Amino acid sequence: MGTTASQLGKADLSEYQELTFLTKQEILLAHKRFTELLPKEEKNSTNARVPMTKILTLPELKSNPFKERICLVFSTTNPNDGSFSFDDFLDFLSAFSDSATLEIKSHYAFRIFDFDNDGTLSCGDLEKLVDCLTYESEDSRLTTEEMRQLITNILEESDIDKDGTVNLSEFQHVISRSPDFVSSFKIVL
Amino acid sequence: MISQCHILESVCRDLFTSVWEVKHPSKTGQAESAESAVQHSLYLGLSTQHCITASSPFSTQQTNSSNKRSKWETSVVEHKNHARELVRKADLSQWDALVIMSGDGLLFEVINGLMEREDWKQAIQTPLGILPGGSGNALSASIHHYSQSLPAWNEELLLSCGFIICKGLVGPLDLVSVHLASTQRLFSFLSLAWGFVADVDIESEKYRHVGAIRFLMGTLVRLASLRVYQGRLAYLPVKEAPKPPKGSINHPPSTTQHPSHCLSLPCRLIPNSSPKLGSRPVRTNLNQNTVSNSSNNVITNMRPEPKKDRKATALVDSLLPALDQPVPESWTVVKEEDFVLVLAIYQSHLAEDLWTVPEATADDGLIHLFYVTAGISRPALLRLFLAMEKGAHLACGCPHLVYEKVRALRLEPISPQGMITVDGEVVEYGPVQAQIHPGLARLICG
Repeated sequence: MGTTASQLGKADLSEYQELTFLTKQEILLAHKRFTELLPKEEKNSTNARVPMTKILTLPELKSNPFKERICLVFSTTNPNDGSFSFDDFLDFLSAFSDSATLEIKSHYAFRIFDFDNDGTLSCGDLEKLVDCLTYESEDSRLTTEEMRQLITNILEESDIDKDGTVNLSEFQHVISRSPDFVSSFKIVL
Repeated sequence: MISQCHILESVCRDLFTSVWEVKHPSKTGQAESAESAVQHSLYLGLSTQHCITASSPFSTQQTNSSNKRSKWETSVVEHKNHARELVRKADLSQWDALVIMSGDGLLFEVINGLMEREDWKQAIQTPLGILPGGSGNALSASIHHYSQSLPAWNEELLLSCGFIICKGLVGPLDLVSVHLASTQRLFSFLSLAWGFVADVDIESEKYRHVGAIRFLMGTLVRLASLRVYQGRLAYLPVKEAPKPPKGSINHPPSTTQHPSHCLSLPCRLIPNSSPKLGSRPVRTNLNQNTVSNSSNNVITNMRPEPKKDRKATALVDSLLPALDQPVPESWTVVKEEDFVLVLAIYQSHLAEDLWTVPEATADDGLIHLFYVTAGISRPALLRLFLAMEKGAHLACGCPHLVYEKVRALRLEPISPQGMITVDGEVVEYGPVQAQIHPGLARLICG
């Protein structure tokens, strides 16, 4: 596939429908919005990529504290530069769509929170997570003591095998107790 | 399970014995018989399974010459709605009080069981006591707070509440009747919540420390994907009425039954028209005021009945029109339609460590309505919850947080997915409205 022709072909459209959780309309809208982000000369080229800086200008992502992580997680570049092909973009939208399952969402949430990409949520990851949520100004940050206590509590709650980190299954287990997680973890264009 | 019950029994026995002795060290003779009364009056249960116990006459109040053998009964509640069934069918005449050791959820069932009875009017007068035993100990924390004690958690809170029950002082308890779309009516004693608060995991109660405690993985994740809920909110505000001229207005509780006289102004007592209100059924009054405002046409179902009218067998929600009817003119409709959370609470604490309404009491006849509009930043929301532990959230000066004292409210969610909780229990999602019934029940409190 890898199409970014300014018109999305019918065959491609049905293929995308099958491979993602998105509806036809959502895919068409995604295509439109993606093409808008491309510079003029690339609008008709296939396999065009939108750099991370442009992705971050999307209004749906602009105020999201995890926007960079989102780009890095869904980008398929190596080395990872956070840029999106149309396929990457659809993968992202699919994971955050209305119909994506708890498993998919919690899987991606885990990857987004795994700042050091080592496959598990360590104290460092959790600290960064909390910082993302609390850092607005110097006085809204948690104190070292509060942070330590918070991380201890989280590990106590989630770290079942007591290895000091939260792995994917432990994370998914905790998340499954939040009945509203699926509908909250949503980004829709 | 049985052995666990006995262990707890003796723990409680020791607990209450020592409490009694501490309070009355010299009166050993009296203490003994009183002590046995106390010992037998509360027995409990299990943390994994909820327990409800009926308690017996508090002979601590009387000098115990007759040494009445106190009766007590413990029922272990095994599944959801078990308590409700028990209470609905129980012979309440032999009991002086019902004490629950568990979380707020069990009390919710008990209250609703009582209200489902034919003799609900007497049944709901049964004094209710609560001991913090499970997750969700908001009422215990509130009662402890009303006794003007310093904040306490865990065993200290249990001790304090146990002590309050020993003292056996009973006061009025406001209940809120909640209407759901399915025409189901529930009675609530603690809160009604929608949005972020409803999502907060009750499990997190277990992890109590002073500090950033309410934030566990689930909350962080929810904060990360901070959701906005669309909906419409309207409420009947309480305006601080000037002290009424003597003799012209009924005692304050009847303010809930006055229809609105104003089209565009919020509901207010109008001293001039009141002499009639006191003497006749308000129904007549409604007609007399029709001339002055056409708003009454909207209020088709609003037939407030004065408390003296005992003809109705079911409790009437005089402030609430049918859910599919528009709200009365006297109500304030909130302009914004994007919320992070809406919380109606009628006790002081939403949880052991969430001191939500610093000056609330169990019988203030008020619903304290909080809502947070969309646009609040994550750190600001977190800060609010952190501040709430000390009751300082109102002082945060957050422009997105609004607090109003109301007597009734209606919430119509527009977002198709979400959760509404009543007293921490998830209820059917859809339009909901509620009004307060001051002092409908009775609570054992300090």
